[in-house]
Amino acid sequence: MTRAALRTHPPRLAAWLVDVFASAEQAESILGDLHEEFSDIVSDSGVVPARRWYWRHGVKTIFDLASATLWGAPWPLAGIVLLGFLLRWLSATLPERVIVAILRMQRPYSNLHYGLYVWLVTNGIPIVAVVQTMFIGSIVAILAKGRELLATVILGIVFAAPLGSPLFLLFVPRLAVGVIATVLAGVIVRMCRSSEASRLRVDPQHDELN
Amino acid sequence: MRGRDYLGEFEHVVLLAVLRLGDQAYGVTVRREIEARTKREVSIGAIYATLDRLEAKGYMQSRPGDPTPERGGRSKRFFRVTAQGVSAVNRTHRALHSLTEGLDILRSHS
Repeated sequence: MTRAALRTHPPRLAAWLVDVFASAEQAESILGDLHEEFSDIVSDSGVVPARRWYWRHGVKTIFDLASATLWGAPWPLAGIVLLGFLLRWLSATLPERVIVAILRMQRPYSNLHYGLYVWLVTNGIPIVAVVQTMFIGSIVAILAKGRELLATVILGIVFAAPLGSPLFLLFVPRLAVGVIATVLAGVIVRMCRSSEASRLRVDPQHDELN
Repeated sequence: MRGRDYLGEFEHVVLLAVLRLGDQAYGVTVRREIEARTKREVSIGAIYATLDRLEAKGYMQSRPGDPTPERGGRSKRFFRVTAQGVSAVNRTHRALHSLTEGLDILRSHS
């Protein structure tokens, strides 16, 4: 696609953000409506005002959908986020226990795998912690059907809350990675649901055949 | 009790816009109708959040349209007001009428 052709398309990042924040069922029609209005503004006023309009309405749309979800059904969402927090709290020492169990099983320090031992001690625990956080984020996103990203963003904020300000995340890389992993899990679950919804739209008889 | 539910202010506006548009009611046309008649800028997200809430209450029904190139190959979602929705509009109008009846403030603004 040429640069000129790309510019007459809506901003990709804005469209992607609307896509992941809307439910899989809403995304198709919302993105279509935004695209239709974008095309009309391009014809009337040009690409730059159209892109500005798209960003402004995209951000407002995300905010309006999120606030409607929060105020429309706050308790189920709060319950799911609380479950995620409890899972993380109950499994807080899991990464350390997993690495210690691997080290005891393999005894790498007693043979030639000294390098592996050092690597597991220094990098193993953070890696298992990221996998654990993504797993918890995935559970939360699966339960929060239609509000996957909102639920994982709130859970990420809850994980970061003990620091007082999100700016402190810059100084605590491990916690920052945990927050990113939580939100990433929400994005992955949401995109899986989106591709499933598109597949069903293309082939509506698939479910009947199976 | 559901039979006595009144519409919220924006629900009322959206329902009336869909009623005015008839068969042509989908996100873009509803948003433009509201902007043209109320001079109020609303986002597509606010329209869909309200339409979905009205659909959940049984006041609205939706059906998918065909995908079109000017929409990036995405389909429209058309809405129509149900009989229950029309009753809710009438109920809300009656309540508002009864509250405003006899108020001098309306005469002084006309």
